[in-house]
Amino acid sequence: MQPLTQPFIPSSVKIRVSNLSFSYNGREILRDTSLEFPEHAITAIVGPSGSGKSTFLMTLNRLWEELPQCTMGGRVEILLNGIQQNIYAPDCGVEALRRRVGMVFQMPNPLPMSIFKNVAFPLQLAGEKDKNVIRRRVEETLQDVGLWDDVKDRLAGSALSLSGGQQQRMCMARAMILRPEILLLDEPASALDQKAAEAIEQLLVRWKQNCTILIVSHYLDQVKRIADSVVELQGGQLRNRQVATPRV
Amino acid sequence: MKGASVGRFVERAIITFSWLAGAILLTVICAVTGYLCFKGLKTMSPALIFGSTDPMSALLLRQRVFDGLFPAMAGTLLLVLMSVGWAIPIGTAAGIYLAEYAGGGTKKIFNLLFDLLAGLPSIVIGLFGFSLTLFLNRHVSKELHPCLLLSSIALAFLILPYIIRTTQIALENLPVQNRLTGLAMGATRLQNLFHVLLPQALAGMVSGVLLAIGRCAEDTAVIMLTGVVASAGVPRSILSHYEALPFYIFYISSQYADQQELATGYGAAILLLFICLFLFAVAFVIKKNLPCQVFSQR
Repeated sequence: MQPLTQPFIPSSVKIRVSNLSFSYNGREILRDTSLEFPEHAITAIVGPSGSGKSTFLMTLNRLWEELPQCTMGGRVEILLNGIQQNIYAPDCGVEALRRRVGMVFQMPNPLPMSIFKNVAFPLQLAGEKDKNVIRRRVEETLQDVGLWDDVKDRLAGSALSLSGGQQQRMCMARAMILRPEILLLDEPASALDQKAAEAIEQLLVRWKQNCTILIVSHYLDQVKRIADSVVELQGGQLRNRQVATPRV
Repeated sequence: MKGASVGRFVERAIITFSWLAGAILLTVICAVTGYLCFKGLKTMSPALIFGSTDPMSALLLRQRVFDGLFPAMAGTLLLVLMSVGWAIPIGTAAGIYLAEYAGGGTKKIFNLLFDLLAGLPSIVIGLFGFSLTLFLNRHVSKELHPCLLLSSIALAFLILPYIIRTTQIALENLPVQNRLTGLAMGATRLQNLFHVLLPQALAGMVSGVLLAIGRCAEDTAVIMLTGVVASAGVPRSILSHYEALPFYIFYISSQYADQQELATGYGAAILLLFICLFLFAVAFVIKKNLPCQVFSQR
């Protein structure tokens, strides 16, 4: 298969991780590691299972704070609205951060409500009241993920009735409806068949124009197809790794 | 080889035992309800409920029923609704606090306290209600005496542990993934609780309310000490005496004059079962419809 990647022009640093340490339940997962992630690029994070790839993603939107028995040290700075911000600074609102840094999980996680409500949910959480705005944005976003034609007649139907691939695309629409600057994906295609996985890959390649994407992936061929750079997490250390395939 | 056959025997024995346990339970339920129906069904008629009073005027409270169970049914229904009404907001809030907000030490202490409360015999709660009545009578108003309000408050204490525990467990058993879904979208903890967690935990929480309804409807010890009487008519206010079916059953069974009167006791038991079934049905309908109507927006 042809690599989907478009020419990659390195640009400014979007995420800067410095001296990051993390332990969960007394087990050390990240040990004093530092790395920078470029803007408008897809960075794949690879590594053995259980090496803490998912946990690392959660340090970028502070989601680990909701889990018990986690401790973190070090610094994470993200370029948000053009300003370099320490996301763990006391004045950085965690909800506002998570609206700028979207996340898609490994298993599709639709909420037990209608398709429309699922996709509109983040907008409503953010305080958007105008029904017309909400409706327009839901339509735009569902069109963007290529789900609109499939679901436009059953927006009020339960999101749980969608197929796995459709559910995951709906979850991506939900993560994108707030137009985040960063999208974190935790093996988003691992529960899907090849066709659904390819649809998601194409989306990601398109989205990187406006968004910085970090994707945890187990599949080397997927990584080769879409990633601009690859980071390996092993032994608690993040390291840049050469991408084997030459860029087109 | 020998080990394998012993293992098979043990497995078969466990399966047989499980079947037997289920069968015993079913037999007992059938035997109890069957016996009740056998003894009480012949008394089932409008006369059992309304006596010699015209049903319509009794229902509209125009005429008082003296020789029927209508006042006791009304008393039980009001008692259950009021007790559950007190206990649901407090119990749910306490359950939410324990599951979502309480930290290590506090949580342990509260868990212990609620387990103790759950283990209190109902007669002790009744005594508490009685002492509360005496205290209020002496220090607040001479008008306060054992009544529906005080009974329902005492009963609420009896059922609080069920509601607290089921709320807590329903929330704690939600998969971590569900918990993180809303938060990852930028929901505050409160938004996450109301829009994501509670709707998903609701089914579990309703089962606690069902238990509580049953417990309220059947309890006799608490209400005996806090306001139920053998003859009071339909309660006129929450500050008046009232009748209740379980107390009627207890009263009749301990001092019936003839077989006819005893049969009305069985009739009352069947009515109590039906009231519980009705309340369970209401709770089930609510359980089916609540998540999409109350919590999610538009």
